[in-house]
Amino acid sequence: MKKTPRTSAAIIAASCLAVFGINAIPAASAADVVTITLGASVPLTGSLAKEGLLTKEGYQFCQEKVNALSTATIGGKQKKIDIVYQDDTSKPDVAAQNLSKFNDKGIKLILSSYGSANVNAQAAVVELNKQTMVDSGGADDAIFNKGYTRTFNVMSPASEYATSMVKAISEMAKPKPVTMAFLSADDGFSKTVTLGGMKAATALGFTVIGPQYFPNATSDVSAALNKIKADKPDVILGSVHFVEGVAMIKQAKELGITPKSFAQTVAPPILDFATTLGPLAENVLGSSQWSSVVKGQEKYFGKASNYASEFLARFGHEATYHNAEASAACLAMVLAIEKTKSADADKIKTALSALDVQSFFGRIKFDSTGQNTFKPMVVIQIQKGKIITVWPRAIAQAKMIWPYVK
Amino acid sequence: MDTFLQVTAYGLLQGGLLALVAVGFSLVWGIMNIVNLSHGAFVILGAYIAWEVQGWFGLDPFLGMFVSAIVLFCVGYVIQRYLINLIVNGPVFITLLLTFGINMALIQGMNLVFTADFRSIQTSYGSNSFEIGNIRIPLVRLLAFLLAIVITFALVAFVKRTRTGISIMATGMDRGAARLMGIRARHVYALTFAISAALAGMAGTMIATIETFDPSKAGKFTLMAFVVAVLGGLGNMYGALVGGLLIGLVEAWAGQYLSGTWVNGIAFLVLILVLIFRPNGLVGKAFYAARVEI
Repeated sequence: MKKTPRTSAAIIAASCLAVFGINAIPAASAADVVTITLGASVPLTGSLAKEGLLTKEGYQFCQEKVNALSTATIGGKQKKIDIVYQDDTSKPDVAAQNLSKFNDKGIKLILSSYGSANVNAQAAVVELNKQTMVDSGGADDAIFNKGYTRTFNVMSPASEYATSMVKAISEMAKPKPVTMAFLSADDGFSKTVTLGGMKAATALGFTVIGPQYFPNATSDVSAALNKIKADKPDVILGSVHFVEGVAMIKQAKELGITPKSFAQTVAPPILDFATTLGPLAENVLGSSQWSSVVKGQEKYFGKASNYASEFLARFGHEATYHNAEASAACLAMVLAIEKTKSADADKIKTALSALDVQSFFGRIKFDSTGQNTFKPMVVIQIQKGKIITVWPRAIAQAKMIWPYVK
Repeated sequence: MDTFLQVTAYGLLQGGLLALVAVGFSLVWGIMNIVNLSHGAFVILGAYIAWEVQGWFGLDPFLGMFVSAIVLFCVGYVIQRYLINLIVNGPVFITLLLTFGINMALIQGMNLVFTADFRSIQTSYGSNSFEIGNIRIPLVRLLAFLLAIVITFALVAFVKRTRTGISIMATGMDRGAARLMGIRARHVYALTFAISAALAGMAGTMIATIETFDPSKAGKFTLMAFVVAVLGGLGNMYGALVGGLLIGLVEAWAGQYLSGTWVNGIAFLVLILVLIFRPNGLVGKAFYAARVEI
């Protein structure tokens, strides 16, 4: 195109508008805004990519809600948060290294990775760097038994995962089962879950079989199933991740093992569980950190039901507990920032220690080790392909179907 | 005794599945001297294709696996002919780097296209089994086992009795001499790689029918295939089958008497022992591990 004086003038005018016009508005508002940067190293690739993506969505949702609704100010300026992400490739060493990279950039406030192994590695680095981290993805009690003071976990501890299902079965299953077999992956988190569940089962009068351990992330749990087959347990309780959970249901059918009930941690509340297993998923019990009927509300997300509906509208899929716990961790950090009116990691650590709020995620309050031992878990059951809350009785959406394995 | 027989039967069937995954990997390593680190990604890609084919057309996975095989045959041919072939004369480290790169690209591509959601092909017979005495035999695992055997014997017949197969073996034995005899080595290599990818596609379909899959599982299948190929040995088409069955049995027996991750430890201990006493694998030939390409 041949440039005429008129087109040149138009280009110059457009350029001036673009440069001065666009920049003028943020420049004015930027003076009134203080942006606090949070670092989040999450597994976006590797074996935890699915959960990592859900975690990132939870953080994103929190950022959007807080920035849209917050009226809090710091030093007279409106507060905004900005979360920067790094992919830790599902590896604990990378998850830890990423926090040091954040530290090098001056980012002291951290939202955790997903998975107890990752968070365990991160917690040590957080302590070393004097950062402050809110944990949404590592529930293993072992993380909090080391005397760390700068990591705060919004979730119920690992020991509650199986315990909640044992209590639910004890309260609601009629006729009450007698024997309960524990099968578990052999990673730290799953073992903590199993030991907690066995302790509760023994206390509630069940005859406990096992535990039988299998390698973490295996898709073949047949050896563990074969070992308990002769005992004909009434309940098989699996401390599993998604892949092992699906394998357990499929292989039990292949091997002709038919307890009155399957109960599993972690796997059933993931939406893929019901779609992957189809009819075989029906009536499997699961423990969950959150469901859309949990009681409590606060100013950003409202009630759990509000969170669920708005999340669905924003991301196009139902909110899982992974989404909710990530949003809850971000929320705890934001509330601590607002309380202290600062981004100082030490002050925020102190504020988190004193935090006590009823939220869409339930109660968020940390004990002296940094765990949220004040929030109960919920027990869900797959009923007609949907995830239905059946325990605690006070918030149950439907009765527990029992017994169900024919 | 029933428990032992049950465990043994299950181990054999699991071994068949491992053999199915490894047979293509072993073929490429044996013939082309390329350790294809993207083999697991081909397996997962095959699983996704069969899963999509079932979703779109309702095609049973035992028919869908042929669609997977055809698509991956084409993908494999193109990748070898126009990519790997560029560095096929380079040091083994370079081929490792390239196939690792292809692996990463495929995994990230699948993450973008299919997301990291867990998938599985559902069939009405997926978890069915039947009894022989007191031993339960899972139907789909049995069919996958039989498929591994059929593929192995078909591969043996192909390389021994067809002109193309003989040219593949000849190129594997001595590429320079094969060229002098008029064999188009580039085409033969691409064909070999394509067959390997097609077999990976069929294996992926079986994996998708039996268990769950997502892009991150690719590395696991590459590792499995590597272990099975080393254990069975190169240069013998039965190597993958023998290696797969042995690993399947060892893991099953170890799982019965040991706990947790010890099972993996025992499987690798067997690998180490085999390599100490039979460095070329159980049925491998020394020539294939030691040859120098020209």
